[in-house]
Formats: sequence, structure tokens, C-alpha cells
Amino acid sequence: MVELKDVSVTYSSGVDALEHINLKINDGDFVFVVGASGAGKSTLIKLLLKEIDATSGTVTVNGYQLSHLKKKQIPELRRTIGIVFQDFRLISKMTVYENIAFVLRVIDAPRKYIRKRVPYVISLVGLQAKANSYPTELSGGEMQRVAIARALVNDPALIIADEPTGNIDPELSYEIVDLLRSINMQGTTVMMVTHEHELVRRFGGRIINITEGQIVFDDIMEGSDDEFLEELEISRISENLENPENLYHES
Amino acid sequence: MKVSGVHYLVGQGIENIWKNRMMAFASFCALLVSLVLVGISILAYQNLDSMIGGAESQNEVIVYLEEDTSADEINRIGNEIYQMQNIADVMFYSKEEAYQDWEDQMADYGILFESLGDDNPLIDSFRIQVQDIRYMNKTVSQLEHLDHIYRVRAPYDFVAIVTQLRTILTWVMSALILAMIFVSIVIISNTARTSVYSRREEIQIMKYVGATNAFIRLPFFIEGMITGFFAGCGALVITWVVYDAVSGVLQNQVALLSVIGVGSMIRFDAIYLPVAFAYLLGGALLGAVGSALSTRKYINV
Repeated sequence: MVELKDVSVTYSSGVDALEHINLKINDGDFVFVVGASGAGKSTLIKLLLKEIDATSGTVTVNGYQLSHLKKKQIPELRRTIGIVFQDFRLISKMTVYENIAFVLRVIDAPRKYIRKRVPYVISLVGLQAKANSYPTELSGGEMQRVAIARALVNDPALIIADEPTGNIDPELSYEIVDLLRSINMQGTTVMMVTHEHELVRRFGGRIINITEGQIVFDDIMEGSDDEFLEELEISRISENLENPENLYHES
Repeated sequence: MKVSGVHYLVGQGIENIWKNRMMAFASFCALLVSLVLVGISILAYQNLDSMIGGAESQNEVIVYLEEDTSADEINRIGNEIYQMQNIADVMFYSKEEAYQDWEDQMADYGILFESLGDDNPLIDSFRIQVQDIRYMNKTVSQLEHLDHIYRVRAPYDFVAIVTQLRTILTWVMSALILAMIFVSIVIISNTARTSVYSRREEIQIMKYVGATNAFIRLPFFIEGMITGFFAGCGALVITWVVYDAVSGVLQNQVALLSVIGVGSMIRFDAIYLPVAFAYLLGGALLGAVGSALSTRKYINV
């Protein structure tokens, strides 16, 4: 579970990245977090991973109250979170199998368990044939699936996917979201951060819109026919027309 | 951490050397150069110091005895001198021996000796070598206070030169060794930082998936230790070859050896064990600590 109570983050430069955020994501939820570049999405992720601290307010992630968390306990918190990055961040000198297995080695899992669990997770993302390949031998979609398998392998309570479809073809994007959805069906909470409104339009669900460091919308929408999603798209287009630099960031 | 975990991390450290072989080779070279620089500087200092020691051992203090000192008195004085501190060697040099040697040295001037007839103008003496010439003054003063001593002659000029030489050598070589150590630290830390920089993403990923700092550092530590160990082996071989070559050249310089003494140069086979130990341990430690510390910047994610 993720809970933010009246959380603000102000960087040392004086920029208010998040302002008085109140947010609760329950166990088993699937949430889209949308917003333009610079809206505060990345700050939110950094906050949940305790890469940065809130200037005020309380943040609770998977039972850890982050303001009380000691530096030593950060690895413990991160082991309950699976993270998927836009740029995959796979270790190029490790095979697919090793990239996934090393997460279990980090938590000192028994070898037997690693030998059983890793092939299972690889099969979940459909990459059995690529287990011994190196990341450079994979397509963008495949690399992202490895990243998802890595995020999934130690059975985290929460998966944070930061623009997971940002570096792959649109048709593969749907596959990735489908994969995250199916993981969510098994009970894992998924928070997918994206600025691809088309994806959000298609899948629907709970959508949190962050704009200029504030949550301006947090509700459940039904999918491609939903009026809000249309509005969201229209508002994005008009926002881009007002702030053309957003188009640059998105591209 | 379980034994299997440590085993895995040690394995990773070894594997990483091959996977990052270019950077490992750069670290190896940096460590090798640093060890050789520092090692040869220290050995040069030790040898120069030993050579000065060799020259030092040729010091000679002459204690002239009063005329008519009896044989018993001479014996007693000899024993007293022998039991004094800072005395390396005592040799009685009778006036007859002195006369004979003098005569031999001045063989061309036989007429001079004829004029002396049976008279021996020389006096008995003790030839003494002191252990540490820094305390020459004190020793001479003690000798002067003995009974039946006519005069004590000490090589003060020699002592002054040698002492000054040793002081200069100690300062110059200490500065040089410190400079070499400083240069080595700069080289090693820069190479280690570059090596870690090239793998910063790997470290960040490990942090994101919940790796502890120890988990991240241990393979770097092992990797650095192994690289450093091999650099130590390389440095040992280079030092051995250079040392043998230099001492070979010096051993042939008869004139030089007559000044510094044949035994003044330290033979490599007499010191190879401590040198090898210092190189291997120093290399392994420097490599391990250098690379583990360099991860610090990227570990705080």
C-alpha cells in the first residue's frame, strides 16, 4: 500500500516539485499516473523509492513510514518494490537469466529457489528462448519484458513502471501494459507512470493526473469510450499548444 | 549474508575482472607503476643508507697511551674500553708494531730510521671502531677520562660528513618516497574511479533492487584485491630484474666498492621475502581499498 499525506517536496533550487499531495493506492490496485513533463511524476517515484525525502508530510510504502526509515533500511524497502524504467536499465554484461537472478541474489535467496523461480518468471514474460541472450541481442520490447521480469522476480508488493512504453513501438506498448495488467491480476499493486494518453484511453482504470506538482484528477475511468479520457486528450493537446516545450519533452 | 552469498560475490569479483578486462588492465598498470615507484625508492634509500653505514664502519678512533704504561695496565684499559657502550671493535697496537709499519711505509727513507738507532719515538695505542658515529663525541669523552690516556684522536671531519650525508639522504629520500606514495594514490584513485564510473549504472540498478552497500562493494573489493595482487607479482619481478642489473653494474665498480665497502649493497636474495610480502600485500590492499572506496560516490542512490 502507498499512502501520501499532505506531502510536499521542494528542491534545494527552490522548485516546488510536489505540493500538498494526498494519495492512497491500495494493495492490488492498478494505477496510471499521468502528467506532462516536469509535472512531478519522477519526483513522486523518487519519493516512493526514498531516493529523496519529503519536505513535509508523511509517506508510507508497503508498511514502511519513509520519514522514520534509516539509511540502512532502504534496501529492505526497495526489496518490496519492483521498478521498471523507460530505458530498461539492464546490465549489459549479464544474460537475461543473470539480470533477473541477481535480484534474488541480492536478497540472499537459496540457489535452489533461484534456479526454479527465474525460469518461471522468464516464462511469464514469454522469453524462454532468450534466457541466455545478452540485452544487446534483444529488441526494445524484449528488453522491457526482461525489466518487468526482473521487477517481478522477488514477488514485490508494488511494481512501479516509469514510462515503460516510452522506448518501444506503440503496438508493443499494449503488450507491455497487458503484461503489467496480468501481473496485477495476481495481486501485485502496479503504478504505471506514463505520458502516453493513448494507452490510458485504451485501458482505463484508476487515473491520477499530476499537474504542476498537484493531483488535479484521481478517479476510475472505464476505458476507450470514456468521456474523461477524451477530455484528457483534448486538455493535453490544448496544454501542448499553450506550452510547446511539452511537445519537445514528449517527443 | 550466507556462505553461498559470499561465494557468489567472490565469484562475481573474479568474473568482473574478465568482463571489464580493459579497465582491470588499466588498474593493474596503475598499481604496478605505483608499487614499482615506491618499492624501488625504498630499496634505493635502504641501499644508500647501508652504503653510508659501510663507510661509517670504517671509522677509527685512536687512543694513545702514556709512555711507560705497564702491560697489566694496558690489559686493564683494553678491557675497560671493550666494556664501554658504542664500541664495535678494540685492537691493541703496540709501539713496536707501529714502528715496524712505519718503517715499511717509509722503506725509501731507510736513512731516517738509521739515525734513530734503537730509539722508538712512537707510543702504544688502541685502535677502536665505534658502533654509531652519531655518539662519537660522547665515546671520545669517556675514553679521555680513562687512566693513562695520553691523547684520543677521532675522525671528526669524517663523522661530520657522514652524519650530514645521512641526514640529507634521509630527508631527500623521505620526500621522494612520500611524493611517490602521493603520485601512486592519485594514479590508483583516478583509475579506480574511472573503472567504477564505467559501471555506475550497474551500481545504481543494484541499489534500486535493494542491494546493500556491502553486496555492491564486495565484488569490487575482490576484483581490486586480485588485480592488486597480480600487480604486486609484476612489481616484484620488475624490481628483481632492475635490482640485479644495478647491483651487477655496481659490483664491478672496484673503486666505488672500496669506498662503500663490498658488503654495503644489500643482496636481493637476502631481502626478497619481505619485499615480496610487502609488494603482494600492499598491491592487494591498495587495489581492494581503492576500488571499494571509489564506489562511494555512486552508492548513495
